[in-house]
Amino acid sequence: MKETDSMVNSEPGAHIEEWLHSCIRCGTCKYQFLEYEASCPSGEHFGFETYFASGRIWLARGLQTNQIQWDDSLLQSIFACTTCGACEVQCHAPHRGHIIDIIEDLRRIAVENVGALEAHEKFRNYVEEYHNPYKAEHHSRELVQEHNLPETAENVLFVGCTSNYRETQIRDATISVLKKAGVDFTIVDEFCCGSPLLRTGQNKSVNELMQHNADAIRSSGAKQVITSCAGCFRTLSKDYSELGLKLDVEFIHSSEMFRDLIRAGNLRVISSASDLNITYHDPCHLGRHMGVYEIPREVLSQLPVSVIEMKKNRDNAWCCGAGGGAKSAYEEMAISTGKARVQQAMETGAQKIVSACPFCTRNLRDAAGSDEIDVIDLAELVDELTVGRKPLSQSP
Amino acid sequence: MEIKQRLMKIVGPERVADGAAEKHVYSYDMTENPSLPPSLVVMPQTLEEVQQIVQAANTTKTPLIPFVTGQSVGGLTIPAVEGAVIVDLKRMNRIIEVDEEAMYVLVEPGVTFGHLKKYLDDHHPTLRYTYPLAPPYTSVLANALLEGLCDLSTRHGAMADFINGLEAVLPTGEVVRVGTGASGEGNWFSRYPLPDLVGLFAGWQGMTGIVTKMALQLWPKMPFNRHVGLLCFGEEPTIRMLTRIARTQVLDDSVCVSTPLVKMVSGVAAPVELYDGEPDYGMLLTVSGNTETEVSEKINVIRRIVNEERETDSRHVLISWEGLMKLMGDQWGPFVDLPSEMYKVLAEHDGLTWVGTYIHPKYWKTVLEEGRAIVEKYGFELIANLKAMKGMHFGEFKFIFRFPKDDDTVKRVRECNAELLDLALSYGAIPYKTPVWAAKKLQERLDPNFVMLMRRVQRALDPNGIMNPGRWGLDERD
Repeated sequence: MKETDSMVNSEPGAHIEEWLHSCIRCGTCKYQFLEYEASCPSGEHFGFETYFASGRIWLARGLQTNQIQWDDSLLQSIFACTTCGACEVQCHAPHRGHIIDIIEDLRRIAVENVGALEAHEKFRNYVEEYHNPYKAEHHSRELVQEHNLPETAENVLFVGCTSNYRETQIRDATISVLKKAGVDFTIVDEFCCGSPLLRTGQNKSVNELMQHNADAIRSSGAKQVITSCAGCFRTLSKDYSELGLKLDVEFIHSSEMFRDLIRAGNLRVISSASDLNITYHDPCHLGRHMGVYEIPREVLSQLPVSVIEMKKNRDNAWCCGAGGGAKSAYEEMAISTGKARVQQAMETGAQKIVSACPFCTRNLRDAAGSDEIDVIDLAELVDELTVGRKPLSQSP
Repeated sequence: MEIKQRLMKIVGPERVADGAAEKHVYSYDMTENPSLPPSLVVMPQTLEEVQQIVQAANTTKTPLIPFVTGQSVGGLTIPAVEGAVIVDLKRMNRIIEVDEEAMYVLVEPGVTFGHLKKYLDDHHPTLRYTYPLAPPYTSVLANALLEGLCDLSTRHGAMADFINGLEAVLPTGEVVRVGTGASGEGNWFSRYPLPDLVGLFAGWQGMTGIVTKMALQLWPKMPFNRHVGLLCFGEEPTIRMLTRIARTQVLDDSVCVSTPLVKMVSGVAAPVELYDGEPDYGMLLTVSGNTETEVSEKINVIRRIVNEERETDSRHVLISWEGLMKLMGDQWGPFVDLPSEMYKVLAEHDGLTWVGTYIHPKYWKTVLEEGRAIVEKYGFELIANLKAMKGMHFGEFKFIFRFPKDDDTVKRVRECNAELLDLALSYGAIPYKTPVWAAKKLQERLDPNFVMLMRRVQRALDPNGIMNPGRWGLDERD
């Protein structure tokens, strides 16, 4: 561990304690403010008060003040939540920006008192043994040879486990785009960023993962880290900082890189007219958690596609259903939430849902099933509809 | 078979919950009233399921407590007895019918003010319902049953007065309809001239059955509306002006609050205090009409009364809506569209409470003066809320407290509320959305034969005593 990396971490319960007396359960968190559309995937799925943000806050207060004791029956209401953050957008109480902090705090304490959910413990063990939650053979560095990447570079592409081991077409498309745009980048020996553990209250192993990734990024000499995973983006740029990591690099989501490459002319958009209608799904970790709504849309606006917005978009976007450990532990809720999002997309008449997060892409595709709508990642679309800068020899 | 198994058979296991989380979360409301956990929570979606739940509860003698959207107050959904089952009705949330000609809407319990407003704006833009100073996701049906107030109360009265009829599952399991809707579908135009059996359900706090549908009066959305603010000094002039203006019958609604609440809406951070020289009260007065001239003349009626009062104290100020927005900020805008939006300023802590009462106009000023002294003695923010009701046939009076639910503050709130209730009762005021502790105080002042009649009605309808037992203090089985 570097001396500069002070492993600061708030004590479990600190967020709950700070906001112990702030929620009257007015219910504003349940619905899209002034539009009166459902906002909370968990609450919509289960219906009981315990599955809305206000119920969880009251539960946290009850546990913090010892009004109730820990038992297994508490776990579902604590963990069956995608932590999408839609409640924070709707809430008008003083704790409005801290509801996810409170829920994740509650999860940490739950893990300490009752233990992690079996599904979550399983992927934690995989992360510890295989450095990814999928029990896949660890191979990040092999991509350097495969794609003939340099040992050191200005940029690191942090691939992320889902792209690397499940949605590999997103990884390949991202690499393809960066290469054809002439970006100086490499791939490091990355471990899981720790997002699945942080989101499920299993924080203990995260410092080790963070330190490994920090060392790997430092050794690359990079000034910028690019990732196409919204979850990784949030963890690298927000959680690592909150955990006390001091790393002199800038973290950006790949959509920002795509936008800048197109603007600079390093990527040229295929100019042929297209009758492709797409709709954009805001990933929670990119949108509500990090405030990035317009950059992916700016990319899409440069491509020969028509973008039709879903009724619920930007900070009111309906969650894909996968986050916060929901996909592994509460598959039924994850799929029903995803189906609702797919339905919203189909109502636009779009042929494709474009997301900017491999985990969203995965769950939306699972939810879409045989529905007549494709689910792809922004990187795939950019790769398909752009070419690199013309070689000088071909210039007029 | 135990009640849990019976209920799971009726609604399916996924809509029955008896975990520690549910027992805890459903054992509280936002007020200071003491908690008691239910044995489980059941979530029906249809009338038939509600009926079967009630029938099962009769078999096992299980107490049932209706619950809707969770913004409960007065401890009304907190079990008063052990072993109760909460019947969470939020998934019965259909707007079944809007009758444009007879101007009513037929709703299920889970329909909220926000949803109804949006629905009417989208589909029936010439009609409006009426909205309270409550969170936008409060149940329309529950608020009407509990006789709360709204933004047409100065003209039309408490929300129960808007009920044309209802459908309910009796405590013995039969489904009944009262009002003209009893004569057939699509005919919920009035509760009269039949015997007014709405009264068997309104105000009963769920003791006489589970209401599953309600027909509520809608009103034409008037083409011209105007709001004016009135800042005034002293309890006596404030009440006098409000009373005089309300008696002219020009108002749709009146809200009179103490200045700290005005400052809260304007963005002043808690704790909000009242400083020397500031007006004591602020009123928002609403008028409407078919022509601009009609509205202007109504405003002139108000202005004339204020000008007469200004001859005694020139500090009273009538302010146009535009002036009020400039003075207080744009955040006042949503309030006139949907008063619920102002509720957010009360969402400062995990506790919110009040002793709300309806009172004879002649005691209004006195109870406000003496109530203010009580609140100041306990050191709480001064948040008085007054409304002229039904053309000034009576007044509404309450002091609201937003408070952290730590042990010391809760104790102080209970003491203050008890003192305020004693004061109000001493002037003949009647509390609404009444907690059990307040109902017991009220009973001491009511004609014993009235209490006897309540008890007799309740027992006739609910021989097994399963519906929200203990409410209204009717727990003794003598």
